[in-house]
Amino acid sequence: MKLFFSFIAGVWVQTALASPEGLLFFEQKVRPVLVEHCYSCHSAEAKKLKGNLYLDSKAGWQKGGDSGEPAIIPGKPEESLLIRTIQHLEEDLEMPPKKPKLAAAVIADLVTWVKLGAPDPREGGKVEVKRADKTWWSLQPLRDFKSQISDFKSAGIDDFISAKLKEKGLDFNPPADPRALIRRMTYDLHGLPPTPEEVESFVQKPDVAALVDRLLASPRYGERYGRHWLDVVRFGESNGFERNFIIDDLWPFRDYVIRSIHADKPFDQLIIEHLAGDVIGKNQPEIEVGSAFLVAGPYDDVGNQDRVAQANIRAATLDDMVTATSGAFLGLTINCARCHDHKFDPIPAEDYYRIKSAFEGVTHGRRVVASAEARVAHQQALKPLQTELTRLMAEQDALDKALNDRAKTAVAHLRFTRSAVDAHGTEESFAPVTAKHLRFVIHSFTNDYQGTPTKRVGGGKLTEFEVFDTSGRNVALASHGTQVEGARSAVAEDFPQAYGPQYCIDGARGEAWFIGNPPVLTLTFAKPERIIRVNFINARGERSTDESKVRGATPTEYEIQVSEDGQVWTTVATDEGRQPATSGHALAKARKAMISQEETARLAALQKQISAIQAQIGRVPALPQMWVGNHAQPKEPTTLHKGGDPMKPGEVIAPASLKVLSEVTPAYELPADAPEGERRLALAKWITQQNPLTARVLANRVWQWHFGAGIVDTPSDFGYLGSQPTHPELLDYLASRLIAHGWRLKALHREILLSKTYQQSAAYREDGARLDAASRLLWRFPPRRLQAEEVRDTMLFTAGQLKLEPIGGPGFRLYKHMQNNVSTYSPLDQHGPDTYRRAVYHQNARASIVDVLSDFDFPDTAFAAPRRANTTTPLQALTLLNHSFVLDMAGALADRLPQANAVEAAYQILFQRKPETMEVQAAEQLISGHGLRAFCRALLNANELIYLD
Amino acid sequence: MDFSRRDFLSHMTTGLTGVALSRLWAAEHRQQSHFHPKARQVLQIFCPGGASHVDLWDHKPLLEKHHGMPLPGAPEVSFQGKNGNLMKSPWAFQAAGQSGKMISSLLPHLAHHVDDMAFIHSMTSRTNTHGPGCIAMNSCFTREGFPSAGSWVSYALGSLNDNLPTYVAIQDLRGEPPNGKANWSNGFLPAQHQAVTMSAQQALRNLVRPQAIAESEETATRDFLQRINLRHAQSHPGHHELQARMAAYEMAAKMQLTAPEVSDLSKEPQHVHDLYGTQDANGLKAAYARNCLLARRFLEQGVRYVSLYCASRASAVDGLLNWDAHKTLKADYERHGPIFDQPTAALLTDLKQRGMLNDVLIIWCTEFGRMPTHQEGTSGRDHNPDAFTTWMMGAGVKGGVSHGATDDFGRRAAVDVTTVYDFYATVLHLLGLDHEKLTYYHNGAKRRLTDVHGHVLNSILA
Repeated sequence: MKLFFSFIAGVWVQTALASPEGLLFFEQKVRPVLVEHCYSCHSAEAKKLKGNLYLDSKAGWQKGGDSGEPAIIPGKPEESLLIRTIQHLEEDLEMPPKKPKLAAAVIADLVTWVKLGAPDPREGGKVEVKRADKTWWSLQPLRDFKSQISDFKSAGIDDFISAKLKEKGLDFNPPADPRALIRRMTYDLHGLPPTPEEVESFVQKPDVAALVDRLLASPRYGERYGRHWLDVVRFGESNGFERNFIIDDLWPFRDYVIRSIHADKPFDQLIIEHLAGDVIGKNQPEIEVGSAFLVAGPYDDVGNQDRVAQANIRAATLDDMVTATSGAFLGLTINCARCHDHKFDPIPAEDYYRIKSAFEGVTHGRRVVASAEARVAHQQALKPLQTELTRLMAEQDALDKALNDRAKTAVAHLRFTRSAVDAHGTEESFAPVTAKHLRFVIHSFTNDYQGTPTKRVGGGKLTEFEVFDTSGRNVALASHGTQVEGARSAVAEDFPQAYGPQYCIDGARGEAWFIGNPPVLTLTFAKPERIIRVNFINARGERSTDESKVRGATPTEYEIQVSEDGQVWTTVATDEGRQPATSGHALAKARKAMISQEETARLAALQKQISAIQAQIGRVPALPQMWVGNHAQPKEPTTLHKGGDPMKPGEVIAPASLKVLSEVTPAYELPADAPEGERRLALAKWITQQNPLTARVLANRVWQWHFGAGIVDTPSDFGYLGSQPTHPELLDYLASRLIAHGWRLKALHREILLSKTYQQSAAYREDGARLDAASRLLWRFPPRRLQAEEVRDTMLFTAGQLKLEPIGGPGFRLYKHMQNNVSTYSPLDQHGPDTYRRAVYHQNARASIVDVLSDFDFPDTAFAAPRRANTTTPLQALTLLNHSFVLDMAGALADRLPQANAVEAAYQILFQRKPETMEVQAAEQLISGHGLRAFCRALLNANELIYLD
Repeated sequence: MDFSRRDFLSHMTTGLTGVALSRLWAAEHRQQSHFHPKARQVLQIFCPGGASHVDLWDHKPLLEKHHGMPLPGAPEVSFQGKNGNLMKSPWAFQAAGQSGKMISSLLPHLAHHVDDMAFIHSMTSRTNTHGPGCIAMNSCFTREGFPSAGSWVSYALGSLNDNLPTYVAIQDLRGEPPNGKANWSNGFLPAQHQAVTMSAQQALRNLVRPQAIAESEETATRDFLQRINLRHAQSHPGHHELQARMAAYEMAAKMQLTAPEVSDLSKEPQHVHDLYGTQDANGLKAAYARNCLLARRFLEQGVRYVSLYCASRASAVDGLLNWDAHKTLKADYERHGPIFDQPTAALLTDLKQRGMLNDVLIIWCTEFGRMPTHQEGTSGRDHNPDAFTTWMMGAGVKGGVSHGATDDFGRRAAVDVTTVYDFYATVLHLLGLDHEKLTYYHNGAKRRLTDVHGHVLNSILA
């Protein structure tokens, strides 16, 4: 295949003639500096050219480097990047790099030279860089095939393939035998094997067109091809980054994709819904949910207080949307133009910000997605309940207020005998008592009663709890043999000790017990102890340390009880007589002292009614919330970020199309302050109307999904660094057919599946392999391994365990999800029957690993995975041999095999063929020694199960 | 060096011809350096949480002197908010070794090794957040999806054994580091280059034959599997993936034999256990000590890249799970220091005594440093991406030197400012790899470990 490169030659015509004095100045003061300090990175002799900038010719600096601007503006040193970099005025571009700044006199000479108009006698020189320009193949209009939608035939495809084969002296393989073909097609369109009955029926009557129609009509097709598309749009159900919290309401987007593809929704419509479903389908959930595409990627949600970090995080969040959009629909890497003009494709940095501006109003998050009728109905159901709730709460508030006013007067009369509790240590002494058990029963904390005397927060902490015997020893210490119990208010499932009460008796103030409910600490001593005093501490540091933002609440109201048998408890001390911890606490005490029985009863009755109403409100079905993102008009216009740095805003950039396609595709440019929804809709229309990239990229994906590799085998990169098409005419033909079919995939599938190219055998041929080992020219159907989901689904299906219903809904999990500030996902050792659904319904958290799926290259969805990897590792073997899931499936498969002919039945179910005599003999030997399950386990590990012809 | 062939091989094994089954796996993995390597293996020790440079490695006399005074310049808002005045380290620094390097008295055992260490005091990070910081310290990128350095090394150099993984990540008892598995992810490199997680507490996943299956059944099942796979391969000439998968099953069987042996620490003599502290009363220290010992045993068996974690993720468990001392620095590091110090020092001693430092490059990492000030309302320190310390020692590294420096208080890197790109350019250099030539095509770009940056730190090379 011939590769064609194109070059941009930055040819500048020299217009100004330099004066002899100027040239002399250059030779004496400038050239030596450039040679000594710059040429090692910026000349034709450079070992590696840096920043695509040549300084060994006039044309070099006139063209400039990655900045896209001339490095020198004659006469204007302050605007010349070269001068600014040596003056260290450009962050991260200080020149010469990693070396001391040039001497002031040297810099002054260069400034003078630029002021003089930068006279430079160095003509010629190398300035071209290998890269694409607007003549690049993928940016051209589609070839015109005059294709007609009514002319339903696939001869076109075979002609293109055959012509290329003939050039190499090759030809197609003979047709595949019917068993291989139905296996191939069923996996291709459903990701599952055919049943033995389906195989037999097809072998009897190999009506391929009928088979294709049957397969395309099934919801299984939507699941299989929906999954392909989810790969392309980097769909993942956790936010990634540090917190990686799980997202439980993004599955409606997954179901939307599956449904849309099953229904053969025109793909241009699908793209518009992805980018602007909320704009064109407001209050139409089925359309609105499409725009979840924008927020299906990872993003950083950590509560960063640093202003620069916040700006960078926002920029990275929008970059994900630009990257996903350009890769999925256009096959371009517009994201490579974020910091500088694209190095290889004709995409200036401005283009990046033109596209970015479309997404400025989008933020990640969930919101209600419901029809107008549903919203009205919901409001009507709630209204009477809320009216009643408001009335009850007003009555409660009035009563509370009256009580609190009285308490404010009464508080002055309260008298206390002891100091308030102290976070650094509160002691309670009592007459010597013998105790085997001691418990600290907490009734309130220092953070209670704030604002109102009835408000309770709870959830305090203790770093240490000490119990002293008559000799002054702390007998509470774990090192003394004491055991401790107490509920905690937080858990970290992967670190069981966390937050536990044992920190109260470890003799150190470092870690704290997070006090849960009931708030009771119970100590059991190793033997009965004669005790006289306790001391409880909440502080971690010394009194001099400012802990105002560190410490939790301290217990304020409590009882200390002891017991000899753990049955009968005696109270030996309480907080009685202590000063209140806070003014709120004082009010609460006063209120408690003066409230009447009637008032208490009335408040309790009101609270009961309020709780009942709240429960009723809770039972009104909520409007569905979905992770579809939120939208708001941006406050600022989009600006270019110089060097990709959001702290260095450049010129204002208006929402607009890519300039490079302006001669091919109708361009748009909106005002810089255009409504954000309009921006996304304009972008969506530009992508879907007369845009040759969109059709080519999608047609290529369809081809890849059928054959394993696309005509371009870098499916989301049609730029310079991507691959060239093996069959450029065929690609354009398919793209044209796609458009002619109204952007419906099923018609295109039919053309491909009914072709000779697709239906030929996968058999190996020396001549083909010698010339084209990867079968890219399609002298045979390329054999392939099953993908991750197919491997798991196949085991479930063949074992008779796969649950095909319900289709969709919340996903299942093959990991345990643990949440403690950040999320942790650990794979499950047992996969219960509730997980026996198709793998496409697995809730795929980012940066998680699960058995079978991860082993077989299920992608981590940090990025789009337009083409799955295909690796062979020992870990796959360990999983399939030893994970309980495979053993369970082997057992289930064994159970469904008939007593007679078990071996043949298994081969028919798994491999769609009869076993050979040798295979039967070997199998029967294994079965007689070790049973059917051993045999089934071996077959589930067999190569034949997961490789297709 | 032709890496495009490597791209091809690792992407799809189709196209190999005539390679013996058992060697096929190793053949794909035995690669070559760009130039003569100084190191063959890497031991990475990672203290997640942002281990404080000014409390461990970077002595700042002026910080002591100006304790309680404002940091010169405008008051700063960092990751968690406002900061208070300068706060000296709760631990005195002491001169150690021939080099007289000043080291925190919190690390008395590690102080014995300073003459073998090359400190990099001028490290900077592009992020002030743990998760992105940790993966940046492993992959040079702050967003996930990129291959970790261990994966790049596995991809570039392959395996040194045929019965253990090439790249092992040893997790702390307390759980995963921030951003979890992304720290040892293969990113877009083929899956065989990801780290396999194993620790003294957690065996290699799915390593053990199910209890329900007797050994005789296992043998018979594998024999049958081998027969039907051979038969299938014979009917599919030229389909080398089939042979690769059979070879992978062979290697899995070898791993099943070797991995438990390597993980069996009971074979180590008592004095070795004592050296590491594997039976210490402090359960977290004992657990980490066992992982240190396990790391040595992996390196002995030719594991190419071992990542050893001391502490785990950011947590609401204040200061307990990792080095993220926002609230009470003293209490927190009095917990972490002893867990880290003796076992790590023992590992260094042990590797040195066995002569393994000729082959093994040791790198100590954390994601960023901490502020020289205390956080408002706390006695802890906030994140500081503008300055932190890392160190290297072992194969190819000059000992007893320091590269770069921070300003008077440790607020910012000031001399020879260094990035994670420089750090890994140096690591690759020591492994005989040119960081600008080690590339892999992904989604429109020829990706490098060091992105488009990085300079080898020549001053620390032996």
